[in-house]
Amino acid sequence: MKLVKRTSVLLTTTALVGLLAACGGNSNDNQQAGAEKLKKISLFQSKVEIAEPLEALAETYKKETGNEVEVWGSAGDAYMTQLQAKLAAGEGPTIFSVGTGAEANKFKSYYADLSNEAFAKNIAPDMALKDGDKIVGVPYGVEGFGLVYNKSLVDPKDVKDLASFTKTLEKFKAEGKNGLSLSQEAYFLIGHIINTPFALQSDPQGYIEKLNKGEVKMADTKEFQEFAKFMEAIKTNTVNPMEVKYDTQMGDFATGKTAMVHQGNWSYGMLSDYGDLGFEVGMMALPLAGNDKIAVGVASNWVVNNKADADQIKAASAFLNWMFTSEAGKKAIVDEFKFIPAMTNIDAANLDPLSQTVFEATKAGQTIPWANNYFPQGVIVNDLAPATQEFFLSKDMTGEQFLKNLDAAWAKGAK
Amino acid sequence: MSKSNKGWFALFTVPLLLVFTTVVIIPFIIGIGYSFVSWDGIPANPKVFVGFDNYATLFRDDRFLTSAWHTIEFTVLALILVNVLGLAFSLLVTMKLRVSNAARTMFFMPNLIGGLILGYIWQFIFTDVFKYLGDKTGFDSVFFNWLIHPHFALYAMVIVFTWQMAGYTMIIYIAGIQGIPDELGEAARVDGANLWQRLTRIVFPLLMPSFTICLFLTLSGAFKIFDVNLSLTKGGPNNATELFAMNIFNEIFGYGHYGLGQAKAIIFFVLVAAVTLTQVIITKKKEVQY
Repeated sequence: MKLVKRTSVLLTTTALVGLLAACGGNSNDNQQAGAEKLKKISLFQSKVEIAEPLEALAETYKKETGNEVEVWGSAGDAYMTQLQAKLAAGEGPTIFSVGTGAEANKFKSYYADLSNEAFAKNIAPDMALKDGDKIVGVPYGVEGFGLVYNKSLVDPKDVKDLASFTKTLEKFKAEGKNGLSLSQEAYFLIGHIINTPFALQSDPQGYIEKLNKGEVKMADTKEFQEFAKFMEAIKTNTVNPMEVKYDTQMGDFATGKTAMVHQGNWSYGMLSDYGDLGFEVGMMALPLAGNDKIAVGVASNWVVNNKADADQIKAASAFLNWMFTSEAGKKAIVDEFKFIPAMTNIDAANLDPLSQTVFEATKAGQTIPWANNYFPQGVIVNDLAPATQEFFLSKDMTGEQFLKNLDAAWAKGAK
Repeated sequence: MSKSNKGWFALFTVPLLLVFTTVVIIPFIIGIGYSFVSWDGIPANPKVFVGFDNYATLFRDDRFLTSAWHTIEFTVLALILVNVLGLAFSLLVTMKLRVSNAARTMFFMPNLIGGLILGYIWQFIFTDVFKYLGDKTGFDSVFFNWLIHPHFALYAMVIVFTWQMAGYTMIIYIAGIQGIPDELGEAARVDGANLWQRLTRIVFPLLMPSFTICLFLTLSGAFKIFDVNLSLTKGGPNNATELFAMNIFNEIFGYGHYGLGQAKAIIFFVLVAAVTLTQVIITKKKEVQY
């Protein structure tokens, strides 16, 4: 009993000391912030590509308005893990990014209402992240992916269906070039390319729900059967994607060793690092089951953490308003982040060729949706990717077996 | 213990005890609580009490059972390799060689590098250097990208772990060897015992305390390994190198199954405790006094 008492006294003392220390920290912050200034806020997001320009933008913001935004280092693939851990510890960022669909639903209880903010009316139709009628998230911009190809090597007319696609790959193999390159990262290996057969279903979301319940099988669906044949063609005729990293994939493409890559408009950032490529790049659809549209969607949205205190939420809205309405902000979104704006007040001149294609397809409605936003959480990284690795590593596996494995993997991931 | 001694004792022990309680004991107890709920890790979302469901589920989880098997495979291989090499190194550097001091340093050095960095360095060696060697020498049945072959990826992890740990166990064995009085060896030599006899009859039995420590360290280290696993293979290809700790991590953060993952972690704790305790008890019994 005595021991318990003593321990509890000690624990209380430590807790008190901790509290005091915390109070001390706060009062300091207030003094620094001054009277008119808005409270300092933090921002955390998933895209490694925009990490540097975003920090530069925060600097500009500080220069123009005197308010501070602390940009936390990008975490790339580990973003979700870290965000969740930080939120769970009550140390969440003021502004953070979430994907669309299943991922956005998961963090629903954290979103502050942005419906009345000035920038909200500028969001392009159907692009805002909503919770019921409330606007809770601003899209980064739209993005698209498909077959990115070297215009001097590939004629889109030669990639119209499975037969011509396979023939083209065989031709390149005979020439000692790599016809098409995937890379080993989960999304670039399977997550993006498998979106096409899903998106081609008449009701992709409904199909995914049925798949979750086990009512349909990929192996029994026409589009997936053809998808498996595409994957077989890739496996037989190209460099094993398990040996290729994103850097290598884009590097080989930039230097002409690879004719096509399955990638998105974001990859142009990497290509432009190579300077003058000596050829033009284009983006076309993965010609699965007659598909001639590229996949376009909103990958990420900015949301404001409603668990932050009222002053911070105010400061966060002010920053978003500044980013989406000021000249510096708009310029950064288009020129530095290389985003294709999903806002009506931002002009999209000077887009790079890949983004231009995506932008035009969006305007013309020539797009298929990102069905993979509605996949069960983690299924791409945890289940589909391992099954695909096995497919590319075992020489004897057929496309049919691959589909069965994908079905099995899905069943595990969806439970 | 005298009264003043007790005061000193408390002064140095209480802070440590406090830290240990707050960062180990209390989270552990809370963790046991979490293992009985189903929760996705979002504080605002409901935690549903499910009783022993999580424990029942994890024994039907193929991926968990496979990872258990891989962990055992890895641990056995690593245990043997680390200790054989560590012992060999220690015998080598306690012989009166000119280079023994330099050798000591060299053998110990890999241990100074963190597991994550070691993993990244070796990833480069296994993927690029090995492939290059294979292309140049023609021995491409040995030198190929080990990390995309399910079995070899596991062996690759064993190699990296050994590389890291062998020098460390060497230090402990050296201390043990230096604790053995020279007279014993000399007397045996006079009686005509050869090197092998002196090793197996005198050195190894008297080294038993060192064996106890080294086996414990490698056993628990290999069981709990995560850093090398993450940086070298990320559990791939096709989950062939996903060991216990990584499986738990993926269950919790990959799928967002906090309750189930926590249940796995509890089982993991019980297993590690049981295995290492058994080992310590067995090797302790073999320790002899001279």
